[in-house]
Amino acid sequence: MMKNSPASCRKIGRSALFITFAFLTGGLVHGVEQKEGERPYFNEKQAPENIRDLKKIQESLQKNLPRSRAATVSIDLGGGSGSGVIVSEKGLVLTAAHVSAGVGKKMTVIMEDGTRYKAVSLGLVASTDAAMVQIEEEGSYPYVELDRGDTPSLGDWVYALGHSGGFEKERGVGVRIGRLVRMAEQTINSDCNLIGGDSGGPLFDMNGRLIGIHSRVGASLEQNMHVPLREFLANWNGMLNKEFIGEGPFAQKATAFMGIGTEDREEGGVVVQEVGEDTPAAVAGIKEGDVILEIGGEKVENKESFSASLKELSPGDKVKLKILRNDEEMEIEVELGEK
Amino acid sequence: MKRWKLKWNWARNSSFAAIGLSFQLATAQQQLGQLEGEFRLNGKETWKAFDPIREVLQASSAVIYEGWKSIGYGVVVSSDGYLVTKASEIEGLEELSVRIDRQHFKEVRVVASTVEWDVALLKVEAEGLTLIEWAEMEPEHGAWVVSNGSTTRRDRRVRVGIISANAREVGGGRAPVVLGVSLDTGEESEGLMIQKVHKDSGADEAGLEPEDMILEMDGVQVGNMEELQAVLSEKEPGDKLRMRVKRGEKELDFEVELKKRESVFEEKKTRNDAMSGRVSKRRTNFPRVIQTDLPLSVRSVGGPLLDLEGRCVGMNIARANRCETFAIPSKELLAVVGDLMNSHRDGDSSDEKESLPK
Repeated sequence: MMKNSPASCRKIGRSALFITFAFLTGGLVHGVEQKEGERPYFNEKQAPENIRDLKKIQESLQKNLPRSRAATVSIDLGGGSGSGVIVSEKGLVLTAAHVSAGVGKKMTVIMEDGTRYKAVSLGLVASTDAAMVQIEEEGSYPYVELDRGDTPSLGDWVYALGHSGGFEKERGVGVRIGRLVRMAEQTINSDCNLIGGDSGGPLFDMNGRLIGIHSRVGASLEQNMHVPLREFLANWNGMLNKEFIGEGPFAQKATAFMGIGTEDREEGGVVVQEVGEDTPAAVAGIKEGDVILEIGGEKVENKESFSASLKELSPGDKVKLKILRNDEEMEIEVELGEK
Repeated sequence: MKRWKLKWNWARNSSFAAIGLSFQLATAQQQLGQLEGEFRLNGKETWKAFDPIREVLQASSAVIYEGWKSIGYGVVVSSDGYLVTKASEIEGLEELSVRIDRQHFKEVRVVASTVEWDVALLKVEAEGLTLIEWAEMEPEHGAWVVSNGSTTRRDRRVRVGIISANAREVGGGRAPVVLGVSLDTGEESEGLMIQKVHKDSGADEAGLEPEDMILEMDGVQVGNMEELQAVLSEKEPGDKLRMRVKRGEKELDFEVELKKRESVFEEKKTRNDAMSGRVSKRRTNFPRVIQTDLPLSVRSVGGPLLDLEGRCVGMNIARANRCETFAIPSKELLAVVGDLMNSHRDGDSSDEKESLPK
């Protein structure tokens, strides 16, 4: 394999090689089936040459499509929707970070036949638009194989699935064909036409293996961008562990929320002026007039240092506050909420 | 080729310095790994493999022109010059002409049409045209499809894609004509109470008002939406409907002109529409469509949809959005053509010698 040579050189070398190869196979071993998982011969051609080549592309696509469709899901977030793909029997779903939009969020996963499952978002990579979601109900789900070998090359034939514009039972999942038209470090582009609602949906090679997740589109029909699968593989454990990896532009870290208004205090610390109803602070028993001296073991100097410490924390975190109430020091634990 | 053209434009638009710059950009792009345009899904080199199918389009599809501008395509359905196209794209146009292969027909008659399917039957004075072969089976998901994409005066060019979703009804089976009212259909309501009369609709022009209770349409009692839709589904735009309504204690009679749904109710523009560019004026309310991912423009629908054997599996009927194009399946299309031919013959007995497609 010439996997590691630069794409531009590789293409020329490959097509030249292929002409001889095609001639030989045509004459000698005509009709030999392509082995499972091997690169299809048509990917080695600059362009399909005849109806036979086109039929082979169609055969590969149609052979793998039923399984790909069964594993492609619509992800309903209430306000909007995206797509995703199941990659394990237990219901692990890969999608885009701008679809899951955070860690630990509740959502609904919809299969092509309309069956709905409760799901929760795991981790994500905010800088490249990769994310994981877990179906919460136990079951044996249809799933697709991953391309673990990072095999896609420029010009490969691919197909894209997704619930364009949201789930539509009569229409089902939409499939589009195309080629890989641009390869870059953190994105691959295809000319499979995508639209809103496809985000998070799967891109497959012609062996039905997952090679990417739809991320965004450009103004032209040929600018359809996908997160390469290697980006998921590189961050797999972090995402499983519900980590928020990287910064911007595809997801913003949720800010932790306590629910109090404070004022500076001359001797240091902050005075609680106001406790919002049903806020994490109220639930934990913080009262107006309490002085917060420490948060998570760190000394609170003033309002700025208090909010800086809070910013380091995430929704769901439990943090201990050292509080001065009626000249008595006490410790209160607050489970932070989300703004 | 594409890159040369780009360079030439840049050079023309700015200065010679731009040539060097664009050359560098092109080289850089290749190093980054760009597949050149001609090798993409709808690139010239890829199209070459479809050439045997392009020849079917050359012989058996029609290019529809308004003046010098091509505005759509058609499917030739008889050797003596009958063809079908998308009706709403030719409506109101006066300088229609048709090209089939390299023959140009300047006299075109629109002889029949159906609002339900948005199909018009046209006639040109021709003979010996090559008929299209009809596919017997509906194509499955992932099957290649080939369509007209663009044309020169001499040659048709293809666009290619695949069958991309389930065949289905789109638009919920609503009648293509409307009164132009919103009705109170809540569980509490008894009968059909008008909530709102839409501006410039037939109901508006006839003088219907909110809170009028619809009693009868064309002498038939209507008490729910199903009964109302059943009456409307028999109608064509421009038809007059006799209506009896109850206003207060009085019963009043009106004559309401029925209009096309899309001319009264403006479709809501979604974010997906915003990223789709121009879409067909009529892109919904079809009894049954097959869906493809063909990147057709609004001006390239109306022609045949072919499979890899060059057989006709349908007729492109709408660009719905950036990634969804609809076609009427061949089975339904043949029935529509039969109906249009019959209604044309009933109205014009002098054309009896002309043959029906099988």
